[in-house]
Amino acid sequence: MNKPIRMALTKGRLEKDTVGLLEKLGFDCTAVREKGRKLILPVPDANIEVVLAKANDVITYVEHGVCDMGVVGKDTIMEMRGKFYELVDLGFGRCKFALATKKGYDFYSGYGIKTIATKYPNVARSFFEKKGMDTEIIKIEGSVELAPLLELADGIVDIVETGTTLKENGLEVIEDVAPISARLIANTVSLKMRQAEIERLIELIEENL
Amino acid sequence: MRNYDLITPEGTKDLLFGECIIRRNIENSLMELFKSRGYSEIITPGLEFFDVFNLNSRYFPQVNLYKLTDSKGRLLVMRPDSTMPIARVVATRLREAELPLKFCYDQPVYLTEPALKGRSDEIVQTGIELIGSQQKMADLEVISTAVDSLRSFGMEFSLEIGHIGIFKELVGRLEATPKEKEDIRKLIENKNFPALNDFLDTFGTSSVTNALKKLPALFGGIEVFDKAEELMPDDNIKRLLEELKDIYNDISEICGGEAPITVDLGLVNKTDYYTGLIIKGYLQGHGEEVLSGGRYDKLISEFGYDVPAIGFAVNVNGIEKAIMKNGVFPAEKQIDAIVYAEEGCEVAALKAAQELREQGLVVENALFDDLDSVREYAREKKIARVVVIDSESKEEE
Repeated sequence: MNKPIRMALTKGRLEKDTVGLLEKLGFDCTAVREKGRKLILPVPDANIEVVLAKANDVITYVEHGVCDMGVVGKDTIMEMRGKFYELVDLGFGRCKFALATKKGYDFYSGYGIKTIATKYPNVARSFFEKKGMDTEIIKIEGSVELAPLLELADGIVDIVETGTTLKENGLEVIEDVAPISARLIANTVSLKMRQAEIERLIELIEENL
Repeated sequence: MRNYDLITPEGTKDLLFGECIIRRNIENSLMELFKSRGYSEIITPGLEFFDVFNLNSRYFPQVNLYKLTDSKGRLLVMRPDSTMPIARVVATRLREAELPLKFCYDQPVYLTEPALKGRSDEIVQTGIELIGSQQKMADLEVISTAVDSLRSFGMEFSLEIGHIGIFKELVGRLEATPKEKEDIRKLIENKNFPALNDFLDTFGTSSVTNALKKLPALFGGIEVFDKAEELMPDDNIKRLLEELKDIYNDISEICGGEAPITVDLGLVNKTDYYTGLIIKGYLQGHGEEVLSGGRYDKLISEFGYDVPAIGFAVNVNGIEKAIMKNGVFPAEKQIDAIVYAEEGCEVAALKAAQELREQGLVVENALFDDLDSVREYAREKKIARVVVIDSESKEEE
């Protein structure tokens, strides 16, 4: 048999959803379900080897071709960018990037340059660049909601799922930036060198979405 | 202040021993191959004026160039590419030269890559440019040279061709702003099917949008041409497809099934000055293309001399990585003999060593104070002969 196709999965929710999808396709994912501390796990009847990694690392491994394919959120793709093929919208892991401010704050008023706190500086920068708006972007690592509350920033660009955290902290979404969902990506050379196998897998996945 | 005197800049590295041998072997074998097909070497400066790369088409984003200034304050860049400097030379010093011109080159290019991504900012490119011929034979000549180059590394490879003209014709028939066209190009380049479909739907449904939607999926073997043929809206585009198919068939015949030749109509890279045929080469197990090129019929005219051209470059660093991954490390040259001089006999020893070299041996001069150390060194380095030069001159095995 051929060398297995290495597929990097974003640890956590996307990993569970992807394993669910692979099982729906009829593949035996017992090894992945009972992984313990292992990071590389076989899905033998699909000739796939699952690699568990953090979202950013999924892209890095796929870009370098040490993993042939990957499952990663559109949020990470938008922030990291990079050279790979973005083949399928898997439909799960849905949420959105949104611009939020303190409730009732008139974000677009006045001449002053606005300050934006975010974990996703590239996403925030390109959003405001498209509007032709000069903004000051501050990178925050933890709960971004704090920044406007502490008056470090006028607004935040962040992932919003239900909006509960925003609401409880007196913030509200004033504009959607982009929708997010999980994507199936592939290394540019792998897709060419292993076209038949990868296309068969994609066909199966698309039939079962 | 921090000193950086013990490290090299991000994206660069020192090569030692086997690494140097691998690099030089790749460069030498490629250059020999090119020269055996009648290409002459060209060397262009490592520094160029920024303006050379700042033509109307701006193939290289300013942010990715290494910039510096000369003593008059003019903006210079470290060469990010060899094709554009060669185009400059052709459009100036070689304007009156008889065509076609065939050049090969072997020199590093410099581009800033994002930090901490494991990429090199300094890449050695070894390649060819064939200037002044638009014939199909020129395309075949360059592609078959590309196949020979890929074959020379002794690894499983595949060669891919495409035609940027097909995309350009299609998108030209769409009523879209340049910005929108660029967005479509990006989505096709990334084979981002979901977003491409959504975006093209905003232009309504036509044979053109339908063909553009399918473009990134049109890759693989000969069957691609049949699929594409049905999709192409008019004869102009069908003719380009026919040209590409002709080339595909000829190259497949030349390769005789030894390596897969594939086609991808979704090859639409941005930094390309390419106008027609596109060539890419891949090695099994290496995540990035190792060979890249194509036809650039309009580039030299941006320097004021309208002449067609085609060429490709091999990414030597990429080949190096692939070879090292396979674990074949070439050995250093085996030393045949070492010559040790007793005190006062240094001149005689140097002469004796030279005589041995003239017989074709690889000979070292011993740099130790005593003969025991020399013998120890010879044992370790597996040097078969130890030659001792003293006042009577004797030799040991």
